[in-house]
Amino acid sequence: MKIIAAVSFLVCASTVPAWAALGQPHESVKFDMQMMKGERATREMPGYSVEEITRGDGAILREFVSPQGHIFGITWQGMTMPNLTQLLGPSADAFQKATQAPRHRGPLSVHVGDLVVETGGHMRAFRVRAYRLDLLPSGISEDVVQ
Amino acid sequence: MSAPNLTALRARQVGALLAGGMVLLATSGCGGSSSSGSSGTPGGTTPTPTPVTNTVTIQAGSETTNQFFNMLLASVTVCVPGTSTCQTIQNVLVDTGSTGLRLLASSLTIALPAVSDAAGSPLGNCATFSGNTYAWGAVATADVQLAGEIASKVPIQIINASGFPTVPEACSVGGTNTDASSLGANGILGVGVTQQDCGSACATAGSGLPPVYFGCPSTGCLAEAVSTQQQVQNPVGLFPQDNNGVVISLPALDASGDASASGQMVFGIGTQTDNALNGVQVYTTDGFGNFSVTFNGSTYSGSFIDTGSNGLFFLNANSLGVPTCPVNTNFYCPSSTVNYSAITTGTNGTANTIAFSIANANTLFNTANTVFNDVGGPNVGGFDLGLPFFFGRTVYVAIEGASTTGGTGPYYAF
Repeated sequence: MKIIAAVSFLVCASTVPAWAALGQPHESVKFDMQMMKGERATREMPGYSVEEITRGDGAILREFVSPQGHIFGITWQGMTMPNLTQLLGPSADAFQKATQAPRHRGPLSVHVGDLVVETGGHMRAFRVRAYRLDLLPSGISEDVVQ
Repeated sequence: MSAPNLTALRARQVGALLAGGMVLLATSGCGGSSSSGSSGTPGGTTPTPTPVTNTVTIQAGSETTNQFFNMLLASVTVCVPGTSTCQTIQNVLVDTGSTGLRLLASSLTIALPAVSDAAGSPLGNCATFSGNTYAWGAVATADVQLAGEIASKVPIQIINASGFPTVPEACSVGGTNTDASSLGANGILGVGVTQQDCGSACATAGSGLPPVYFGCPSTGCLAEAVSTQQQVQNPVGLFPQDNNGVVISLPALDASGDASASGQMVFGIGTQTDNALNGVQVYTTDGFGNFSVTFNGSTYSGSFIDTGSNGLFFLNANSLGVPTCPVNTNFYCPSSTVNYSAITTGTNGTANTIAFSIANANTLFNTANTVFNDVGGPNVGGFDLGLPFFFGRTVYVAIEGASTTGGTGPYYAF
């Protein structure tokens, strides 16, 4: 099963720009480093780890990785919004469907099933926070995704 | 804009051309202006500029019924640079949370000259917004007229310019394209604290280049560095006078809102009798326009004020203890209106308490009103004090590096 999953991921990666994304394996973080041409730093925390990629303009992508090797949360801060279709991975469709609300100009707060996506900020200073409740390591609160 | 207005504008242009080409040459301004240009003083002394009309009416509400609310709208006149070929675009969103004039191509009937990059390729610009929307299109130049103020050869963005290359993947952010139906306006007039939409980060080639400017040869658009002068500009900073910021005044509202609200945007801070810094505190910001808001003992340093956000956005349902609305989780829906206070603090240490309320957004939306001072929702990273904050206030927004009677920008004063 593991081999099949890895092969299918590589096939996907050959057709779309490969970013690590919510719900994807830890190994995919290296693609983000290449995409962002950034510096990577890893922090081990009790019960999870944080991969932080910093781009030359100061944009920071953090990916929160469970002991099982899945990315359960991401945060972004940067001058522009990130590509959420890529960063949300398998959850992107659910996010897109949930953001068709009219009557709104401002940050988003999306809760669909186990997916939570929050955006904020303004031109030159954007923030994004997203996590999957079903992928949170046991005993770890979503509050660590900051 | 509507056809009758176009006809009237063209009639005025023809009239102006017939009546006095010399006047047009002397002022190099746009047709239809009611301002008097400075005539100069003979005798060699430095002329004192004649004050120009520095106030435009702004309208809060919604251009389209029951679709949007708390949209702050103004009319903007753009001209082919140095000519009297002009068009007044109505219903342009006034946005202190962004920088630069962005007009939907579908609202333009005049052809503004496109800007090429150093390689001679069309220059594209990408703006993104916190609602996961993006605006993509050509950089062009225009003389931008607001009241009697004219900024010459301003780089602006033409959103969805026809014949322009399609949006690059690096811009589309997996988000929603800005068009007439998603924007609810004919463009965005970004009059925030920065002079450019990107600034020095976009002027230096290298690995850290944000995806904001794109050279677009026939082979496709690629992100590239562009000098700050070529970037999309805050037109206010390019006015010959009254160019250090804006003052936005809107009337107070009842808790149930109103059908619409009318106010004023004044150009310049402390430059004329109508824009003095009276009875307000100056809160300096960081280079992004952020200051601090302290709420329930926690300080949120990534906070800002923003006419382009249509609510008061802060915290989230868990941290605030107020539920979001059942379907539209972008807004709070408390069972009854909740009153709050917070402390706004500038990077200069100036601190004061503000009071605000959050009502049930669904209750408000079920009325026929389109302006509300008590609608809000979650935000990540700080307080987004959107248009509700501006009702009943006069708010000053000073541009980075600009000298004012209240000190050097960037700052907010209220």
